[in-house]
Amino acid sequence: MQNERTVADGLRLAVRAMVYAVLGGAALIAIATVVSVLGPMLAIDLYTPPVAAWWTVFTAVAVQGVPFLLLGTVVSAAIGAFVPERVFTKLLPRNQALAVPIAGAAGVVLPGCECASVPVASSLMRRGVAPAAALAFLLSAPAINPVVLVATSIAFPGQPKMVLGRLIASLATAVVMGWLWARFGKEEWLRLPKRTRTTASSPAGMKAFVAGLQHDFLHAGGFLVLGAAAAATFNIAVPRSILDIFTGSSWLSLLLLALLAVVLCVCSEADAFVAASLSGFSPAAKLAFMVVGPMVDLKLIALQAGTFGRSFAFRFSSTTWLVAVTSSTLVGWWLL
Amino acid sequence: MRRYGSAVLLLLVGGAVLRISLFSELYLRYVQAALRPYLVISGALLILLGVVAVVRGMWRTPDHEEHEEHDEEEDEEEEGHSHSHSHGPRIAWLLTLPALALLLFPPPALGSYSASREEAQRAAQGVGTFPALPAGKVLDISVAQYSSRAIYDTAHSLKGRTLRMTGFVTHGDNGTWYVTRLLVTCCAADATTSKVEIRGDEADGAPQTDTWVTVTGTWIPKGKLGTDGAWPPVLHAADVKQVKQPADPYEKR
Repeated sequence: MQNERTVADGLRLAVRAMVYAVLGGAALIAIATVVSVLGPMLAIDLYTPPVAAWWTVFTAVAVQGVPFLLLGTVVSAAIGAFVPERVFTKLLPRNQALAVPIAGAAGVVLPGCECASVPVASSLMRRGVAPAAALAFLLSAPAINPVVLVATSIAFPGQPKMVLGRLIASLATAVVMGWLWARFGKEEWLRLPKRTRTTASSPAGMKAFVAGLQHDFLHAGGFLVLGAAAAATFNIAVPRSILDIFTGSSWLSLLLLALLAVVLCVCSEADAFVAASLSGFSPAAKLAFMVVGPMVDLKLIALQAGTFGRSFAFRFSSTTWLVAVTSSTLVGWWLL
Repeated sequence: MRRYGSAVLLLLVGGAVLRISLFSELYLRYVQAALRPYLVISGALLILLGVVAVVRGMWRTPDHEEHEEHDEEEDEEEEGHSHSHSHGPRIAWLLTLPALALLLFPPPALGSYSASREEAQRAAQGVGTFPALPAGKVLDISVAQYSSRAIYDTAHSLKGRTLRMTGFVTHGDNGTWYVTRLLVTCCAADATTSKVEIRGDEADGAPQTDTWVTVTGTWIPKGKLGTDGAWPPVLHAADVKQVKQPADPYEKR
């Protein structure tokens, strides 16, 4: 009896799969035909060079973000599904003022760019890590991991102070932001995605891992696309020649590069090369570009708004920008 | 659609990533070469996740008594999802934009439009000596490398060498034209430009903008090293040949 049922079920499943494959295939072929007929007609009118460049930059930012986002969501889903809460309560001191610098320094271990750190920070919070510590990790991870530091030393050959300056200024920003959150932050600004399954204190296993991975990737991926669109728009709309106007004043140029880092959304593993190529700017201004870039940019604001809520993302990003500019000014003045 | 939505999205994105990284070299238009293995792994992982989502969607049916209890559990979870982040699944549909673009009409590599939008970069940071160039009759050199050496090398390592470089054509004022190449470090969003002015009899019939050419010639010194006068560097062309756009349209650092 039992056997018969499974056979019948299997058959039903097979038939259903076939029906779906046929229907889906037919729909796909229909769509592809329509698009390939209409596409070229539209393309002739709309595909001007700026539009083509916009699409290229837009897809480039999205494609470049996918592996890092996936790495971030794999780590975050693994934390959610396999790591029990007590691990973090044991590892991090109860005192927030102490936990923040430790979490900031722990950013060294995640070798990715900024797309990876948002989902990880969110799952750390769900796992009971104090938001202040998780936020310090969120800011420091993309800026001070070994891959980024090595890239920086290659981009600035013979200038080890640039690498050191980046490490110190980024870590300082992350820790100060963590402390600021611990002192002034309000729970209600932070909208944490709660999950029925994974908020339980015990790990939920493989099934939760896969479900978390699917959900987190799609959710963050949508916001990555939003950020990529913003980045491409600024990339095409703002000519870089406006930079030349400001190279005269060192103060203005520092602020300008700090703003440029926000709108350009260059991946943290590449921003050192872009900074090095901005000839005519003071070292402190280039440092500001590299400190702000991994912590505040349009793509990141979109990701944070999606993960932690809009009211959080705007408050947090603007404060981080101010702190990052201040710390890179101080470090640049002292070290460079 | 609710049952299969995430499966469709995961398969689309995974398929798009695999299409440009595993089944073609299109990824080189968007990102640097070293990212390929990670793109292939990501694409495969996304396809796997999509298949898992499809299988789950099929097992989850109302007429399936054996799994009813399990269904309820799943649905509850689903409810929890849509409550806690109401626009979570909806925002994910934005992923179809880059995915369909890559599957149906892969956007072209950046060209003269992007190059014209910013001053070409002077790659090196100051005058000095460079590592020796490899020996050989004709030396293939990147546009960026040629520019740095022409403008900053106090040892004049380009002197007396026959050099060959590939890039696309851009035009300046008064009929001057350049071989131009974009340089990408991570993805196309960080592209920077380098260019070399082409002179000589061979250079008279300037090719159209965005044509890819391979130019062979010799260095013409110009201006004082490291100053604006040395900019842009000049090549005396002995031979200009039209070529197909290379698989990797950008130069590496």
